[in-house]
Amino acid sequence: MKRILPAWVRPRALIAVAVAAAILAVLPFIHGNRYWHNQLTETLLAIATALAWNWLGGYLGQVSFGHAAMFGVGGFVAARLQIAVGVPMIAAWIGAGVIAGLYALVWGHPTLRLRGPYFSIATIGVGEATRLICTYWVWLTGGSSGMSLPVQVQLKYQLYWYALALALIALAASYALRRSPLGLALLAIKSDVDAAGDVGVSSVRLQDLVLFLSGMTMGICGGFYASYYSFIEPGDMFGFARSISFVLMGVIGGIGTIAGPAIGAVIFVLLRNSLIASYPQLYLGLYGLLLIFVILFEPLGLTGLYMRVLRRARPDLGVTGIAAPESAAPAIGVTPPVEQREAK
Amino acid sequence: MGQVTDLAVSAILLAGLYATMAYGLGLIYGVLRIVNLNHGGMIMAGAYAGWWLHAQFGIDPYLSLIPVSALAFVVGVVIYRLLVRRLPRGAAGGVQSLLLLFGVWLVLRNAAYLLFSGNDQTIRTSYSTRAVSLAGAFLSVNRLAVFALALLVLLALHLLLTRTYLGKAIRAVAQNPDSCTLVGVPVERIYALTFGLGTALAALAGLLAATLFSFNPDFGATELLKSFVVVVLGGLGSVAGTAVAALILAAVEVFAILALPAYLTAAVGFVLLVLVLVIRPGGLFGQRVLG
Repeated sequence: MKRILPAWVRPRALIAVAVAAAILAVLPFIHGNRYWHNQLTETLLAIATALAWNWLGGYLGQVSFGHAAMFGVGGFVAARLQIAVGVPMIAAWIGAGVIAGLYALVWGHPTLRLRGPYFSIATIGVGEATRLICTYWVWLTGGSSGMSLPVQVQLKYQLYWYALALALIALAASYALRRSPLGLALLAIKSDVDAAGDVGVSSVRLQDLVLFLSGMTMGICGGFYASYYSFIEPGDMFGFARSISFVLMGVIGGIGTIAGPAIGAVIFVLLRNSLIASYPQLYLGLYGLLLIFVILFEPLGLTGLYMRVLRRARPDLGVTGIAAPESAAPAIGVTPPVEQREAK
Repeated sequence: MGQVTDLAVSAILLAGLYATMAYGLGLIYGVLRIVNLNHGGMIMAGAYAGWWLHAQFGIDPYLSLIPVSALAFVVGVVIYRLLVRRLPRGAAGGVQSLLLLFGVWLVLRNAAYLLFSGNDQTIRTSYSTRAVSLAGAFLSVNRLAVFALALLVLLALHLLLTRTYLGKAIRAVAQNPDSCTLVGVPVERIYALTFGLGTALAALAGLLAATLFSFNPDFGATELLKSFVVVVLGGLGSVAGTAVAALILAAVEVFAILALPAYLTAAVGFVLLVLVLVIRPGGLFGQRVLG
């Protein structure tokens, strides 16, 4: 039989995702519960954002503490486009996504030449600067009092399926960005930029591409958020807590893995809505403790835990790809471990 | 003309604070190759410690510098021994230590919210508003004191690193930890000491800053960014480089007030950072390791 799919797509993964998507698509008709409907929509949106963050933070190892900037820009541009120009919703999301992606390039193109910690600190600055500027930019954001979109109850119900589509697209992109030949190039950049350049990987162009895609998806998610909640304000959209939530979802699920951040997002939303809603004054500390514990005990999060269990239960499978316990390098399937080369 | 002189003087006075603030971050990175994201947290903690001692016991903030720094030193050593030590070294540990220390910062911030609420606080002493006349310009006593103390601390650090056996060991570990192990330098202890020293400097700078500015639990985020700008500008661990870089940052910030609306001055540091990284990624004075 002639292959229809590219060689890097595993049919089993495709079928699993299709089944999960089908179940999620009909689920609202089965449970008919508005509370769960809302929770699932929030979770699907969180999944899309966590995956988009992971392209930069996980695949390229460039951890961003300022991704709320693109989320916020997307949200406000989408809302403004709908209110002021009357652009239809989906077109407004896409337009907002493109603008958010371009905005990411504006600050990211110069800063992406920084590696690791340097880049991360620069993103803290980006997030804070964007929040300040947009809080005072009344023309775009309506200032501290924010802006409202007309409330449409029917639309809010339907947005669940849009969120599902968004999450699926993000998942497909995550898969493609890891498994395709492009994914190999990204891995090469992550483990050693200079060496990647030597073998003909254009790190500047690829990093810019990934940043644009990540920023664009964030922007579209921001636009979705604006449509879903009908009210947005800069302090929330650009807030530091929002940026941290993206990091946390990635870390819980497993930075740099394909589906880890999606699982991390599910856990995160559950956690936020049960535990943290009861103790709002403790949420920062809880986020912090979660970060500390995951990084100390299982740097690859739930995915790492799963691999560990799998290795224990089925040694015959020879699961090694993801960092062996002694070398906690977050890069998947990268040999030799970075520490060894450092030791030279 | 008078305005320009005034701004230049206030830039110089501010630079002292910035240099102290940045030095702790540069020291830890220079020796451990770890960016201490908890730096911002310790700046905030130092500010609150001074405020609390002043409000509860009436201890002068400048007197509490010593106990606060000593306590912060212990906190730094504990954080190193308890958490940072367990992470892999080198590039793989980079992102992990970053996230871990970020977690510590979040916990500190939350603790400050719980203990002291989110309201802005200030340390008010009897001399807070006093000024002295110097060559026709009025200078706040506090700013002068902060500047003098910052210079003193930097001088002490410089002497520690260049004139003492411990300083020699710290510089040696920064250059090559493996060789240090071979010749019997207790590398782990030097790491712990350096981490403690850097943390103590952060708290000290925070306390100094608290005598000048108001603060809340979020205090420290922009300070971390500024410290980072100074470290990148000035190269690692060179006292002179740090001082010049701090002066540049302070001057750019102070003079930006002339041209930009107030809320945008916060973005100035970041723009400067990006410019430096694009034009001179190795810092203004090239790469030098401690000294």
